[in-house]
Amino acid sequence: MDIEKKHFTCVTCPVGCEVDVELRDGNIVSMKGNKCDKVKEFVVQELKEPMRVLTTTVRIKGARWAMLPVRTDKPIPKRLFLQAIGELASIDLKAPVHISEVIIRDIAGSGANIVATRTVGRLETLMGDGQKT
Amino acid sequence: MQADVAVIGSGPAGLVAAIEANRSGAKNVLLLEREEELGGILKQCIHNGFGLEQFKKDYTGPEYAERLIEDLGKTSVRCFLNTMVTGVSADRTITAVNPENGVFQIESKSIVLAMGCRERARGSINIPGTRPAGVLTAGTAQRLVNIDGYLPGKEVVILGSGDIGLIMARRLTLEGARVKGVYEIMNYPGGLKRNIVQCLNDFDIPLYLSHTVTEIRGRERVEGVVVSKVDEKMQPIGGSEKFIQCDTLLLSVGLIPENELSKGAGVELSRTTNGSVTSETMETSVPGIFSCGNVSTVFDLVDYVAQTGMSAGRNAAGFAAGVWKENGGSVEVVPGENVRVVFPQRYCFRDDLILYIRPAKPLERPVTIGIPPVEMYIKRLYARPNEMIRVKVPREKLEKAAGPIEVNIRER
Repeated sequence: MDIEKKHFTCVTCPVGCEVDVELRDGNIVSMKGNKCDKVKEFVVQELKEPMRVLTTTVRIKGARWAMLPVRTDKPIPKRLFLQAIGELASIDLKAPVHISEVIIRDIAGSGANIVATRTVGRLETLMGDGQKT
Repeated sequence: MQADVAVIGSGPAGLVAAIEANRSGAKNVLLLEREEELGGILKQCIHNGFGLEQFKKDYTGPEYAERLIEDLGKTSVRCFLNTMVTGVSADRTITAVNPENGVFQIESKSIVLAMGCRERARGSINIPGTRPAGVLTAGTAQRLVNIDGYLPGKEVVILGSGDIGLIMARRLTLEGARVKGVYEIMNYPGGLKRNIVQCLNDFDIPLYLSHTVTEIRGRERVEGVVVSKVDEKMQPIGGSEKFIQCDTLLLSVGLIPENELSKGAGVELSRTTNGSVTSETMETSVPGIFSCGNVSTVFDLVDYVAQTGMSAGRNAAGFAAGVWKENGGSVEVVPGENVRVVFPQRYCFRDDLILYIRPAKPLERPVTIGIPPVEMYIKRLYARPNEMIRVKVPREKLEKAAGPIEVNIRER
């Protein structure tokens, strides 16, 4: 069986190790360029199913700003990103929301939850008493 | 109004500096912020990758900000929101304005400048063509999408491969826009490698190196742009022009430290970066005025910004308490071979020297980062301008440094 060569840039941390990997039957036989052990984990996962944390926004009513930033609470398969975004488009959310609060469970069947990444109060409390709008 | 330490700007640098100043013993610390909320640009940086080093967590920008704001809440720092600083003088008087107090002055024992940076816009790079709607900086688009909930366009070309441009390529794609390509005038990318992978490669967005936009077309709205290849002197090559239909052009063509206030106080600025010239204590050329974060030099990572904020806050508190004694001068820190920027630019024998080094050009083979006066030589597999190199030189090693401390990068 021939040896297949692949190149990866690890995105686990900002160092971004560039690794050259040799594969036989999809198994790693050698790896060059990694500065830590997490790179190997990354490559193994990348070969199986690329996983990423999804960060996006959802509309929120009654808050100072139109959008609430959210994320998945763990990496999800990259291929589910657009489906996840689609599910988020139709949700009905009202302030207040607390950081880490679960917005949607099991997004796109990934097993991960969508959680808020900031706290937003209701508009009245944010603006102060004299300025209710 | 009086203060021990007044911090201008509440982005990551200012938040960390204010917290650290208070923890270091300054009781009367003021944090001045022109917006209605703390956090600066972190609020719109909804992507993750913040605080990996500082907190060993993979926070998003808003999470990172909230974590710092929570820490700030445990201090006695007083925050002034909606407060615009209009002037800083060398005798450490700040003039500010806000709706409650009108125009007022703060006499502070020490000051920390943490105003951050701003984006270069179309005027900085002179793109020929018409002046239609639909030309905006990547950061403006980021604000519109992530906070205000507007999609600025449907067919997008991005000029420049800075990190915000790359992040926005992914963001706009997820929100349903089509990003037709990222065009970079240099022959190497501007942003971090992980962003090339996660933001472009993951979404099959092409990156064209050695290319630039040579014309913007459209009357009311952008109808398209002309892109051209450039030669090694970055001049467009005649005959290589290509028209690309789009309704939006995003610019991610660099950041400039926001130093108008610093100039007013007489703070010396670097001619290479426009950032404030500081020593390892983050003190500027004006005694008692410190600076940190992107107002000093544009950093790649928030962890680096926070580190400078920590140092500025601690030393500003020390200065305010009067524990600083004149310790007899400083030496210059200067860029040598293959180094475009080295920060800080002075060493005054108080702290360890944490150097931030930006290579002048990509060196794609093993290199040695050399600091000859202290005989430190650090090996790296490569050096690239889009990845700042950080090197810590312990204070003991520097005690005998007499002349300028030169930092160079040489191929092995």
